Amino acid sequence: MRNVVITGLGLVTPLGLSCAEVVAAVEAGQTAVAKPAGFDAEPFACRVCATVPEFDVASCVPDAKTLRLMNRDALLAVAAARRAIQDAGLIVGRHHSADRVGLFGATGLAGIPLEEVRPLIQHSADAAGQFDLQRFGQAALRRVRPVLTFKILANMPMCFVSIFESIRGENGIYTPWEGQGAQAIVAGIRAIQAGRADCALVGGCDVKTHLLGFLALQQHGLFRSWAEAGVGPVPAEGAIFLVLEEEHGARQREAKIYARIGGWGLCTARPGEPRADTYSRLLSPLRPAGAGAVVSAADGDPQIAGQESLALRKAGLDCSRSVWPKRSTGNLFAAAAALQVAVAAHIVQVGGSSTKVLANCLGYGSQQAAFVLEAA
Amino acid sequence: MSRVVITGLGVVSPVGNGQESFWAGLCAGRSGIGPITLFDVSSFPVRIGGQVYLGDMQRRAAQIPELGQERDRKVQLGLVAAEEALANACVTTQALERASLHVGVSLEVFFLQDLTGAAHSPNMQILARNALAQAHSCSLQTPLDRLAERIGDRYGVFGGRWTNCSACAAGAQAIGEAFHMLREGQCEMALAGAADSMLNPLGLGGFSLLRILSMENDNPQQACRPFDASREGTVLSEGAAFVVLERLEHATARHATIYAEMLGYASSMDAFRVSDPEPAGHGAALCMAGAIRDAGLTPAGIDCISAHATGTPKNDIAETAAIQQVLGERAYQIPVHAIKSMTGHMIAASGAAEAVAAAMTICKGTIPPTTNLQTPDPLCDLDYVPGTARPFAGRTVLSNSFGFGGQNATLIFGRYDR
Repeated sequence: MRNVVITGLGLVTPLGLSCAEVVAAVEAGQTAVAKPAGFDAEPFACRVCATVPEFDVASCVPDAKTLRLMNRDALLAVAAARRAIQDAGLIVGRHHSADRVGLFGATGLAGIPLEEVRPLIQHSADAAGQFDLQRFGQAALRRVRPVLTFKILANMPMCFVSIFESIRGENGIYTPWEGQGAQAIVAGIRAIQAGRADCALVGGCDVKTHLLGFLALQQHGLFRSWAEAGVGPVPAEGAIFLVLEEEHGARQREAKIYARIGGWGLCTARPGEPRADTYSRLLSPLRPAGAGAVVSAADGDPQIAGQESLALRKAGLDCSRSVWPKRSTGNLFAAAAALQVAVAAHIVQVGGSSTKVLANCLGYGSQQAAFVLEAA
Repeated sequence: MSRVVITGLGVVSPVGNGQESFWAGLCAGRSGIGPITLFDVSSFPVRIGGQVYLGDMQRRAAQIPELGQERDRKVQLGLVAAEEALANACVTTQALERASLHVGVSLEVFFLQDLTGAAHSPNMQILARNALAQAHSCSLQTPLDRLAERIGDRYGVFGGRWTNCSACAAGAQAIGEAFHMLREGQCEMALAGAADSMLNPLGLGGFSLLRILSMENDNPQQACRPFDASREGTVLSEGAAFVVLERLEHATARHATIYAEMLGYASSMDAFRVSDPEPAGHGAALCMAGAIRDAGLTPAGIDCISAHATGTPKNDIAETAAIQQVLGERAYQIPVHAIKSMTGHMIAASGAAEAVAAAMTICKGTIPPTTNLQTPDPLCDLDYVPGTARPFAGRTVLSNSFGFGGQNATLIFGRYDR
């Protein structure tokens, strides 16, 4: 089985654009949580979010015409992907043939800002506010830009990444939660281990900081703990990518190696079974004994924190150090797994040769995952 | 590495529901395209599509109670197709528990009608409040993992649930990924497929705006004409298809009926434009060549191609070029057929439905025709099986799926020999 190592990290998060910056801010207890800038969140149980500060995203997009096709998810994705590839010192086509570089990513619930579909809504309604198909077909459709479809299709952010970075190899795009983000990472690892790729860009992007995002999260019950206890997950936006490479090839090109993938596991939550039980069964065979740190999945929802804590105890894991990225950056949902693993990779690199770090991905939806990273 | 076989098929489509009806429709050259009646399309520029008729929904809902709980039509279609595939494979609950589930979908349905109650308000907050007021019973958008969760919970599938959203390549990718997991020993059995329905106001309206749909509203059955010189665009349709895949030893141990063997899978990206296929077909060729290599074959080992063939001017030329690049002279010796001429484009579900058709091509020994092909495009010069079905004595079928945005997937199926 071929070893897989992490050689590049690219982050665009509410807390910063480098992993060192993000980890330092997380450990210092800083937070990017604030009131939404674009709308009043008063109708929602959660009234805060975490947004990415302004940065020069246009430098990643070749022209204004292409820019018009891109949703914010896609903009963040291409920026993070570019940063990961630059961080890895990777030149696609030179270090690896474009068709041997894979792309596996996760995207979230369609992140179209309500402002963009508002003309459709307004011009579809009759005087009484009822949806009228005649109006929709005659008046509303003419008032939206044809590119709207590009902004709703869940695969578009990753397609832009492939175009801008000339990636042509094996690919897969998954949706919509953290567990699917973890699956994207696993798909990249497997492609390299099986020899179908030598390198893979893996990660995710998500934007939940707009009105429609808040609507979706509240409607799907993710603000439950906010309503019940006044605490909970903070909707965030961002994108994170990792460059994975086959270890021998990475060493040959003298790449900087953050960490080796020491193990991973995926599991499916069962209705009626305590998640702590399912998750502890996932953790146990990973044998992260001696893990120097755990990157916790806790996101402010007391239930998730409790499940994770219990699962760690049941699996007999007692890590000397824990970091909680989501408490500072907010929950990046489809991009959250990549953030967990990126933070773990940074800790391994800084920690030295004996460091092992467990990255937990215990989020919403039925799919859960964990990764063990070790020094290479 | 283990051999992987197909032991269950399930499909709902505009040309027929259930594998036998679907197959009979395809071989008879029956078109599933007609006027859209699911909602009032009289004000839409495109008014034709490939609708699925599920028949007696009350009877179906009695068998699958989840159908009545879903607003999103693709989830309903997917549940019916998955039920058929599992019943067809005679799978036990115990075997399913550790199975892997792979579902392809494309985009979310937005129920805009939930927001129009406050549409004339200048205040966006009122829009939000209006939508939230309905939150107890429904949601504005259905998460794309809903179908996987519904199927997984209904049948007790806990070996992983993967929701692939690679647009028109999603169904083929879902099946391909399941195949690789089985072959590499990650699981013993998988249920893989896809479901989609763009036949809703936003879906039909959005695709109309992109100008890739045929506008031949008065000529629905001939509107989708892959490889024909007069083709004007594709026809949006809906459907769902699932296959049960197993490691050979698992299938033989339980004496399962084997329809075909799965031999190879690869995916690639055009890295060209999100709106157009790469004109020379290099991305598609990369994918086909990868799948042939993955199957341990050479181009001479490919006996038939199920083309993606949407009937759009650019796609059919690029795919023809890709086939020529990969197969060389062999491209002119084998049949290349296009079932979208009858089914229309089921988007994410098309690759899965075409996989079912490929498996049946092998086990039934018949190639469904490409209908509506009367005047071949000079740039599309292969043998496209025009008009009528044809006997097939070959051993392998290669099936292409190319997604909006530049994602490509190729599956290869073979005749099963002990």
